[in-house]
Amino acid sequence: MNPPLPSTLPAMLAVAAGAAIACRFAGYLAMRYLPPSHRLNAALRATPLAVMSGITAMALAAGGLTEALALGAAVALSALTRNDVGAAMGGVAVAALLRALGM
Amino acid sequence: MTHAPFTRAGFGRGFRMGLAIAMPILAYGLAFGLVAAQAGLGTGWSLAFSATVFSGSAQLAAISVLQAGHATLWTMAATVLVMNARYLLFSATLQPWLSQAGPARALPSLLLLGDANWIATMRAISEGEEDRAYLAGTGVAPLVTWLAGTLAGVVFGSILPDPRALGADLMLPAFAAAMMAVMVRSRASLIPVAVGAAAALAVSHVAGTGWGIVAAGVAGAGLAALTARPEGGTA
Repeated sequence: MNPPLPSTLPAMLAVAAGAAIACRFAGYLAMRYLPPSHRLNAALRATPLAVMSGITAMALAAGGLTEALALGAAVALSALTRNDVGAAMGGVAVAALLRALGM
Repeated sequence: MTHAPFTRAGFGRGFRMGLAIAMPILAYGLAFGLVAAQAGLGTGWSLAFSATVFSGSAQLAAISVLQAGHATLWTMAATVLVMNARYLLFSATLQPWLSQAGPARALPSLLLLGDANWIATMRAISEGEEDRAYLAGTGVAPLVTWLAGTLAGVVFGSILPDPRALGADLMLPAFAAAMMAVMVRSRASLIPVAVGAAAALAVSHVAGTGWGIVAAGVAGAGLAALTARPEGGTA
């Protein structure tokens, strides 16, 4: 059984919402105080690739053969077709198919 | 100061990209709605939570804090801040581009920011997307399906499809992997790829996936900043 919901639930949800909005705004607002430079530009260019690679690596580490085949298919389809959205869907379809087959 | 373009056409381009992102989010909305209903949250509060926080990982963590009976104003705020720290990084990287639309358009757009549509928007920027309405466009369909999923999960929780069977858990990694494959254009761009993967794996072991993302971004950005050559060099 769950404990009864606290009477301060609305305040708690409001605090959670405020924290979520603060995270979305804070990085944006903080950037005003960073002077533009070639180093900052290089950092900004590198960040998306590093994050995409990190997300992929964590999914591979947490998964098994099915996940590796699915993400491998996504990369291969994307490199071949240059259609990244279609390639991602293809990767997901591979995972769904392999899991349906009991892998 | 003249503002960068912020048009219906750019919004539409983002919206179409958002449709692809939105499908797996429906499955996660269902899962969140089910958990929220089990925690006794009810339809109204569940929807309000999904509309304002709009982050599956943070919402599920906050609900588990509630269910454990540990919820205070501090623990709820801390849980969301820890789970969503990666959004600091996401919004910082968007700022040089997005700020040219002016704060009245930029800040509301950031409310629609999520993992997958950040990746999609950064990719569009790298391809030369000039229209700042693109970001808001990418967020609309995911928000609608997140709310629809939440509602359906609260109401029909017990007849859910398993998100894993549909492969929905792999949508974000598949998206990231496919877009990465298109964005790697030179041998030099393999450096952030390698550094991001190593940092994410090292940190996620001890601190979870959210901090793994932060570590990947900070490590990739930090190395690029340290090794950057004055303008004219390409990375």
